[in-house]
Amino acid sequence: MPNHFLGVEGASVSFGKRDAQVRALRGVSQFFERGTLSLVMGPSGSGKTTLLSLLGCLLSPDEGTVFVDGVAVNGLSEAERTAVRQKKISFVFQAFRLFHSLSAIDNVALGFELRDPALPGRMELARDLLVRFGLGEKLNQEPYELSPGEKQRVAIARALAGNPPILLADEPTASLDAQAGRSICQLLRSQVDDDGRTVVVVTHDPRWQEFADRTINLCDGQIEQEEKNS
Amino acid sequence: MKLAWQNIIHDRARFSVTVLGVSFAVFLMVFQGSLLAGFLQAASRLIDASDSDIWITARGVQAFEFGTPIEGRVREMAAGVPGVLETSRVCMAFAVYRTPNGKQQVVALVGADSNVGRRFPVPNAPGLAEGMSPDAVLYDVSDRDLIQVTAMPAEVEVNRHRARIERQIDGYGAFLGVPFLFTSYRNAIRYMGFGPEEAMYILLRVDKAYSISDVQQNLRQRLPEVDVLTRDEFERKSRTYWTIKTGAGGAILTAAVLGFLIGLVVVSQTVYANTMENIEEYATLKALGASQTFVARIVLTQALICGVLGSVLGLLAVVPCIGYAKSLIPWIYTPWWLLLVMVLPSLAMCSLASIASVRSALTVEPGRVFRA
Repeated sequence: MPNHFLGVEGASVSFGKRDAQVRALRGVSQFFERGTLSLVMGPSGSGKTTLLSLLGCLLSPDEGTVFVDGVAVNGLSEAERTAVRQKKISFVFQAFRLFHSLSAIDNVALGFELRDPALPGRMELARDLLVRFGLGEKLNQEPYELSPGEKQRVAIARALAGNPPILLADEPTASLDAQAGRSICQLLRSQVDDDGRTVVVVTHDPRWQEFADRTINLCDGQIEQEEKNS
Repeated sequence: MKLAWQNIIHDRARFSVTVLGVSFAVFLMVFQGSLLAGFLQAASRLIDASDSDIWITARGVQAFEFGTPIEGRVREMAAGVPGVLETSRVCMAFAVYRTPNGKQQVVALVGADSNVGRRFPVPNAPGLAEGMSPDAVLYDVSDRDLIQVTAMPAEVEVNRHRARIERQIDGYGAFLGVPFLFTSYRNAIRYMGFGPEEAMYILLRVDKAYSISDVQQNLRQRLPEVDVLTRDEFERKSRTYWTIKTGAGGAILTAAVLGFLIGLVVVSQTVYANTMENIEEYATLKALGASQTFVARIVLTQALICGVLGSVLGLLAVVPCIGYAKSLIPWIYTPWWLLLVMVLPSLAMCSLASIASVRSALTVEPGRVFRA
């Protein structure tokens, strides 16, 4: 009996119609254990991002089932899937996707607001989080004033606001230099080790291998290889 | 809603254009609204100034300015109707006025009995009569340039009769483009050449013990050859004539609606452009768990912020402009509530303008967040 905390079972996803149809995932079954950091790797077009979209309740499979926190989310309405994302899932993106008009602290405070609009002291919580991530001097800087590494730290702080159990990251180090990339790897690893979060990282970056518990390789919408890292 | 505020002030140029668009619309709506309110008020000002309950006019008179004589016996018959407490007479005709320095000017000469009403501007009315001869002529201060009186009393001519301008009043300026002159009824009919038995309007005050509509019905039965109207009916009739039948009100309203539409287009365009520019951020918001309500609220808040600021700016600009316009258009009038009420259409305008933007923000796929 697999651990159904987070994963897909027999998931197939197609895009386009008739001759232009592309099968992004073909009957994929894969589960991610609570408190692990998993890598999803593979060439472009192999279905990595589609798998991440399924896990993040951003997409529904044509066939198969998606489990989030042990619950099948396929049949849920858009509003219910939004609620699942609000409570349980957070994202880190390659392009950071910070709100350009908000300062670093406001970006993170908005993360808290989205999780719990009634939460008091959001600014203090955001400040604490950014200080913890070494951004205490950059609280009031707007995204354009931050380096790529700093932007990604702010984005991770925003993702962790409200303490979601699942963190899904799409190429989080692709836009960063070696040093900043390594620092982000360590940061996400610490989320697993210190807080028991479940982290799934889609990446081409081999630096991640040493931080991951296991690696799943996708090819042509199917799992080609799965290996546990030592 | 900090995001809403920050998003709009981040692009200051666009924000300024939006606020200016709203303020222009509010300016135009308030200005046109003031023209309309003033026009309506001016169209029935003298009717409103009377204390009468009922006006008797010649058959088919559309407005105060177009009265025609009626027989004197009508007044006697009306006075005999049960419930009629008091009668008075008003007349109005265009006349030729000769200024003290000999220049000629067409005027609208109004004459009324002294008991026509406390607010009616006749020299023999209680409260006004002090220090004036019973045959004095009054003019409105806004018509000073046309009347050309430098000192009072001033000897002038009205329809080749000697007349004496003794005082200037306020609030009864030219409405038809020609200045009003006010005098006693006795004096006016002399200037106009009316017979002593003729009248143009007969005004009746009704005993409080009687119903005005009953007295009106009774008068209609006894006097089928004239129109018997309550003061409110004649007021409405006069206003309807000037605003609707002449098309003047329609023109003013059209300009107000145009102002609304211009504001709507400007705000729609800028709010939509702002939304589309930030559409990826709306997708991110949704991916991060923002509800549809939250997303819609951000777009709507942006539009409403522009609406409120634009309204305030528009109101701040229009008030002094209307003050200045009063010197050119004496009858322009801005009721205090118009300023407040005009904020509502501007907010409605901004809400309407944000519909397309809200729709775009709501329909954006959160899944697009993974596209680099």
